[in-house]
Amino acid sequence: MMKRSTRTVRAAAWALGLTLSASALAHHSFAVFFADDKAVVSVSGKVTGFDFKNPHGLIRLEVRDATGAVVQWKAETNSPSILERRGWSRDSLKLGDEITIEGWGARDGSRYMRLRKATRADGSTIGVVFAPQEEK
Amino acid sequence: MRTTRLWPAVAVCAVTFFSALAGAAEKHPDLSGFWNLSRGKPVKDAALAAKLAPNTVVLDDVGPIEYGILEFGGLKLKPAALAKAKAWNIKDDMSVANACRVPSIIYSMQGPFPIEIFQGTELTVIRMEYFDMTRVLFTDGRKHLPADGPHTKTGDSIAHWDGDMLVVETTHLKESTLTNNGLDHSRNVKVIERFKISADRKQLLSTQEFEDPEVLDNRGARFISWDRGVEGDHVHAYDCDPSFAENYAN
Repeated sequence: MMKRSTRTVRAAAWALGLTLSASALAHHSFAVFFADDKAVVSVSGKVTGFDFKNPHGLIRLEVRDATGAVVQWKAETNSPSILERRGWSRDSLKLGDEITIEGWGARDGSRYMRLRKATRADGSTIGVVFAPQEEK
Repeated sequence: MRTTRLWPAVAVCAVTFFSALAGAAEKHPDLSGFWNLSRGKPVKDAALAAKLAPNTVVLDDVGPIEYGILEFGGLKLKPAALAKAKAWNIKDDMSVANACRVPSIIYSMQGPFPIEIFQGTELTVIRMEYFDMTRVLFTDGRKHLPADGPHTKTGDSIAHWDGDMLVVETTHLKESTLTNNGLDHSRNVKVIERFKISADRKQLLSTQEFEDPEVLDNRGARFISWDRGVEGDHVHAYDCDPSFAENYAN
């Protein structure tokens, strides 16, 4: 299931806090590659791949879109070493896991995002969620 | 290859050796420890700020924050540098050839990765998690390498103490990005860093100034601060895998 929502300024500010904390430096520029904080992407689906490598981890997700077609999404994560300090590990996700991922979409409109939060089907978050107050 | 991998261990052993020679009579603040980049805005220490040279603009892009296209935080680019920045395309960075290209210490020191410092009397070592880089700061009174000496991403760093500040001058840096958006420094860039410990000893405070007359009409600076990390934590391997870039193409 896929949704793309425009948030209020307040929500954007909250998201900005998450952006700043979650977007550990990649080789490519975050600001240039990913959309700003007003448009946040959230998709739910089945994990088809999980790489835990630098410069970024990567989650592959099989998602059913609004027309019922199955599409592939990719979510780039923070650096694994930083995620490890946040409670993630290379075993945090297994193939077939049903999860929801939320993050900043690629500016080019492709089904590619920078992850800020991952949630399991039971509502539990994976790892420690980056909190805005950590940046303020 | 094997020698390169051993260098950090050799450097750390050297620090231990020289520190042992110095005994317990440490007269300078001890910067040693494991440090995480401070979250949010870096601390702008007044004493460090007072040391900034004239005609210096302070960049606001430390840590995860980065400038967008053709944003340089007040840096005044020479025409050639500006033309190069205008022609820059992020897609070029996102290739297998470039995904793991190591930046110089100007960019990597402000990245949101921890560092580990081993301070001696003749030299100090900074291990950086970002790209597994290791810096050696010489405090034994030596001069810089000759002008035709090797240029590397860590450069040639000569340091001295100015009161409670460790002042590090780095030259011989290989060309690399300054702001991760198409602005690169030349091989003639010079960097001055100042490090000090906060009064409560919980933070490592610094400024990083750079001048590069080939590229810039003014000087740039960043305030960078770190929080003391958890006892027993150490830098992890970065071990960059360039095949990640294939994810962009597919």
